[in-house]
Amino acid sequence: MRALSTAATGMMAMQLNVQVIANNLANMTTTGYKRQRAEFTDLLYDHVTRLGTQTAAQGNMLPVGIDLGSGVKTVGTPQLMTQGTLSPTGNAFDMAIRGDGFFKILMPDGTYSYTRDGSFSTDGQGRLVTAQGNLVQPTITVPQNSSGFTVNTQGQVSVIPVGTTTPTIIGQLTITRFINQTGLLPIGDNLYTETPASGPPVDGTGNTDGAGDVMTQNLEQSNVDSVTEITNLIAAQRAYEMNGKVISAADQMLQTTSQLSR
Amino acid sequence: MENTLLVGLSRQVALSRELDVVANNLANMNTTGYKADGSLFEEYLSSKARAAPTDSRVSFVQDRGVWHDMSQGALDRTGNPLDLAIDGKGYLVVQTPAGQRYTRNGALKTDATGQLVTSEGYPVLGDNGPIVFQQTDHQVQISRDGTISVREGASNADAARGHLRVVTFANPQQLQKYGSSSFTAIQGAQPQPAQDAGIIQGSIEQSNVRSVVEMSRMIEITRSYTQVAGILQQQGDMGQQSIDKLADIPN
Repeated sequence: MRALSTAATGMMAMQLNVQVIANNLANMTTTGYKRQRAEFTDLLYDHVTRLGTQTAAQGNMLPVGIDLGSGVKTVGTPQLMTQGTLSPTGNAFDMAIRGDGFFKILMPDGTYSYTRDGSFSTDGQGRLVTAQGNLVQPTITVPQNSSGFTVNTQGQVSVIPVGTTTPTIIGQLTITRFINQTGLLPIGDNLYTETPASGPPVDGTGNTDGAGDVMTQNLEQSNVDSVTEITNLIAAQRAYEMNGKVISAADQMLQTTSQLSR
Repeated sequence: MENTLLVGLSRQVALSRELDVVANNLANMNTTGYKADGSLFEEYLSSKARAAPTDSRVSFVQDRGVWHDMSQGALDRTGNPLDLAIDGKGYLVVQTPAGQRYTRNGALKTDATGQLVTSEGYPVLGDNGPIVFQQTDHQVQISRDGTISVREGASNADAARGHLRVVTFANPQQLQKYGSSSFTAIQGAQPQPAQDAGIIQGSIEQSNVRSVVEMSRMIEITRSYTQVAGILQQQGDMGQQSIDKLADIPN
């Protein structure tokens, strides 16, 4: 019975949906996290009788055909790159991007990855690093004993060196954009890497060519909306249940048939 | 007597087909832009009935078609700029290697070249072919009539990126489901520009499967199936009894 396997695809899809929702809810307070959405489409159809088949020499056509679907499949779980709420932290090394773009991070293996999580700090040598200790690109070294660390909306970093009163620019943060942000590959630690789907990275600065503003003393919260996730969770759970009922209905019908012969 | 069994069998085959349709609807309860299916049955008269001089016709049941419920699904607000829902009668046109397909699944993306594509990577067509965004485009705005405008680079003026092609069909039942939430048009069904369809940006259209209806249909199917099985059972018993009685040779 086809209904059995069709309902099984429905249950599998809903299981994946719950998995995605669970990950979103688990990352509700992760800085810079972008919520994922499971997207589904219907599977292939078995065209038992084809719509539009001629039924008579006069050119009469079947107005409806018999198309039996075979269930549902998952096409993807893209991240929805909408803006998260900015929350002020008061920490000069915390940065958020308002608008498009990512901070560029140098990984220990020499490759680059990209993040929206701007909770930076300095390492032992005064270099600007992420929470995992990876260097923010280009490398910006904060001079010892300097004060007044500020970043403007374009991403220019300035400090007041010791013994002076005027701020000096010590670097310019790179803000990278992608033509298809959804195509980036999440690798954990709030980081994304480039893929053939995302297109090549376009390095720029804040507030120019479509890149967003760098907002210092702010962090971008995750864009997970708990109400949406919970309603999706309820819908997914109910859909799972109903597909389960289809399996028991098909099972019951098969049982009826098998009891016919004694 | 065999007729009863065969009539019952025709009903059971039709019911199991109907369950397949219900199962597919329920499996696609959360599929964006999915349209529910319904089964159509017809009476099939056979004049080949035997041993019935007064009424020589036996009516079987036959499933004749599956129709699509093209009613509007609920709109789900996502806030994602490339999520589109179509309000009213209309379909987006998708270019696939097998030809044009029509869909109401508006969860769109851009690909690595900036083309507007579906979740499966097929380009969505505008009036003049695929819609392509530039590297520095941001703040995508899609108006109700399908005009796409963006802010390019540091410019404060809107730049046009095309106009989405939204089409409709005189008879939506002439669309055949193709999978991937899309339809193909049968030969002779010409797409017309949609007049009363509006694009709603930042929303997607949920599937229009009404779970309560599907569940009650499912119960109906299983119950009818059991009933028919009951009749078949009785017929079998009758046959058994007559064999027993007639073959009972008196001593």
